Amino acid sequence: MLDKYLRSRIPDAKKLVKDLRKSFDYVSILGTCVNTKRISVSTRINSLDEVDNECGFVIKVYKDGRYSEYSCNDIRDLKASAVKNAVKLEEVYSKDFKVRMLEEKEHVEDYLREDPSKLTNKQIIEKLSAVKDELHKKEGRLINVNTAYVKRQTSKIFVSEKKCLSQKYDWINVMLLTVVRDGDNIKSNYSAQGEASSDLALDKFTKEAEDVLNISVKMLDAKPVKPGTYTIITDPSISGLIAHEAFGHGVEMDMFVKNRAKAVDYVGKYVASPLVDMYDGAASCLSAASYFFDDDGVEAHSTQIIKKGILQTGISDSLSAMELGSEPTGNGRRQDYQRKVYTRMTNTWFGPGKDKYEDMIKSVKHGYLLCQTNNGMEDPKNWQIQCTASYGLEIKDGKFTGEMIAPVVISGYVIDLLSSISMVSDEVTVHGSGMCGKGHKEWVYVSDGGPYLKAEAKLG
Amino acid sequence: MMKKSEILACLKANKNISAYELSIIDKDSRELFYVLDHLEINRAVKVKTVTVKVYVNDKKSTGVSSVVVTAADDVKSLASKLSKAVTRAKSAKNPYYPLAERKENLKDLKKTKKDLNEVATKVAKAVFKADVYKNGWINSTEIFVSNFKEEFINSNGVDHVSERFKIEVECIPTWSNKKEEFELYKFYESDKTDYKKISEEIDEILNLAKARSVAKTLKDVKLPEDLPVLVKNDMLEYIVSGFAQDLHYRSQFMHDNHYSKGDKVSDTPFDLTMKPVISGCSASRKFDSHGTLLSSVKLIEKGVVRNTYGDIQFGYYNKEKKISGNLPVAQLNAEGSEYKKAPHLIIENFSSPQLESDSGYWGGEVRLARYFDGKKYIPLTGFSIAGNIYEDIKNVKFSKEEAQTSRYNGPKYMIFEGIKIS
Repeated sequence: MLDKYLRSRIPDAKKLVKDLRKSFDYVSILGTCVNTKRISVSTRINSLDEVDNECGFVIKVYKDGRYSEYSCNDIRDLKASAVKNAVKLEEVYSKDFKVRMLEEKEHVEDYLREDPSKLTNKQIIEKLSAVKDELHKKEGRLINVNTAYVKRQTSKIFVSEKKCLSQKYDWINVMLLTVVRDGDNIKSNYSAQGEASSDLALDKFTKEAEDVLNISVKMLDAKPVKPGTYTIITDPSISGLIAHEAFGHGVEMDMFVKNRAKAVDYVGKYVASPLVDMYDGAASCLSAASYFFDDDGVEAHSTQIIKKGILQTGISDSLSAMELGSEPTGNGRRQDYQRKVYTRMTNTWFGPGKDKYEDMIKSVKHGYLLCQTNNGMEDPKNWQIQCTASYGLEIKDGKFTGEMIAPVVISGYVIDLLSSISMVSDEVTVHGSGMCGKGHKEWVYVSDGGPYLKAEAKLG
Repeated sequence: MMKKSEILACLKANKNISAYELSIIDKDSRELFYVLDHLEINRAVKVKTVTVKVYVNDKKSTGVSSVVVTAADDVKSLASKLSKAVTRAKSAKNPYYPLAERKENLKDLKKTKKDLNEVATKVAKAVFKADVYKNGWINSTEIFVSNFKEEFINSNGVDHVSERFKIEVECIPTWSNKKEEFELYKFYESDKTDYKKISEEIDEILNLAKARSVAKTLKDVKLPEDLPVLVKNDMLEYIVSGFAQDLHYRSQFMHDNHYSKGDKVSDTPFDLTMKPVISGCSASRKFDSHGTLLSSVKLIEKGVVRNTYGDIQFGYYNKEKKISGNLPVAQLNAEGSEYKKAPHLIIENFSSPQLESDSGYWGGEVRLARYFDGKKYIPLTGFSIAGNIYEDIKNVKFSKEEAQTSRYNGPKYMIFEGIKIS
């Protein structure tokens, strides 16, 4: 259920909105309480802790063509005059400019999605310990196993003149990191499960554990890639990385407002092979960024960004949508109550195709299956790619050779990569365990994924 | 929010708590968000973050768990949270380690506090002072000006308080070559109000955006073999941080370190010292999250590992005699090399610099580099570099020019040879 403290502050929020409306044309209040439990069982250090917990409020006001915000711990007994003083600027350095005021529709609703599992801390520790101990029995070169179970419980309220919303939702991540060592040669591999149920996340974690270890051992013999252009098959995590980093950031519509996105010139045009569909939205699937309303108080959406290779639309927070004369898509997100709202991705993924994975592998004369998200960076203005896979498996004449390359940096031009997609597998996997920054800050929880994709790409 | 005395009383009232640490951070911040030179939104942040760490110890083991005290808490709810924390701490024990002992309690308070609105406005003026070009402009700017007050108390009598100040500027410069627009990314961070420096940094990044707008690719320019590659700023900071992490007590304890005391890192006789404070480095701190008063440690001397460093937990596990604490900033000293006359490649801006401490892989996609062909600089874009830092460091050279980031002070460039460019 919704955090009791937040529920107790709804009447205070309503009163403060009413008081501030005497001085401002628009007022809203977002209240946030996040409780995170983290259980870590490792080879050398264990912990059972509450981490990254936060509880606070942000008050947004509008007057004279500009927004102001005040972030604080509590709103009980907070006077309207204190908010006015906090956001007052004696001297404003700015050219004449007026942002339009947000318009809202009446909306009152409470939302709830809770972890159905009833596992105790002791049971979770036992499951994590069993995996750690089993892996150590299997491999002498294994120097560290780090396991972590993280349950994040998020409660939020949004109150304005026309809205009174509350939501509570849980998300569970279970992570495994294996570190192997052969002399000075140290390699690591990981898996990260994200689910709405602890039982499900822990089951997947247990099933994948041995594969994670085996790959980290194989990485000890991995070679660097010989730079060049290759046929690649991307696993769902790398497909998701491309959807997110190479293209998704470029359709965040606050970038359209700033004229920072090349995508604005491509709406209605081909940006990818006709085999490609792409989606984003808190309601597009059940994953790490599946909230019920965003930090602007807009209900979760599912947005089709690319349809049969043609760019349909971007995603937006309320303010960007207002500036562009479009409908907000429920993508207004804050890192926490102390930070500003930006347009942010949520669950971002490529849609399924009709090809079978086995046929895709068989079709490769010489290339690589690229696996496991490692790193990525956006370039919305110039559409240069940097996506890094943890490793690649060599394919020759339709068969795996047993050779591994690691790590693998995919670079090039976004449209060239997406246009080269020639096969798309028929099953989609979305990984609910990621975090995403905007520029180099503003971290939010996201998911991404897709099917296996066959394309041509520059590797280095 | 509960008073400090009430929190301490709750901690002392729970007889199952062996020891505790209390951290209180007050943040007061003013923030300005510009689209072009239009102020779109201004923000004020005034928050207190209170964290309690509860220890349940015996002679052989330590259990620890955290509690965040929020505005929702009163004496009753905090007592309940502390009891739950005790249960958690008992459930996940580690080998025993002590808390920081009281030696000297730090009172590092600023004599005068800066007017944050005034500083933020001056920073904005300094940014836009550099916005003077016809074909180049600042697309968007975010300014954060913050005062922090940090208090630390533990059950051994440690009671520190420190204040600090920070300016952060994120800036997106754009340049048009009339066919297309090109942008780069700049993040400036400092604990000084040096407005002239801010204008200079923004001017420099605008001119780099200009260079990107006319940059060539490796299809147009053939680079010679074994071209010296110069890295700076965030990549240089990553590399130094990677070595510092390897020489942290924690890495030594986890057995995933590449180096130990006495190992030769490089044939180049450079010194690397971790410090608590370097003027201008905004990551500077005088005590760490365990309340240990920080003291400098020379990790590498003349290319050879002399010491390790780290916090009280892993220092105790490693049987270190003197605990340095978690040191936040790095000073690198080395003799500068002459590089300017011969062909070389300066990496000005990566998409996202990468360094994997396990494997040693480092590199990334380059958004802008400048290639000196012996006569002139040619801007280059759209390629990647890759290397292994544990190999490449052996013959590293350094520039005579110096530079500073939020966590680093020392030579402006690291100069590598034999780096893969593709």
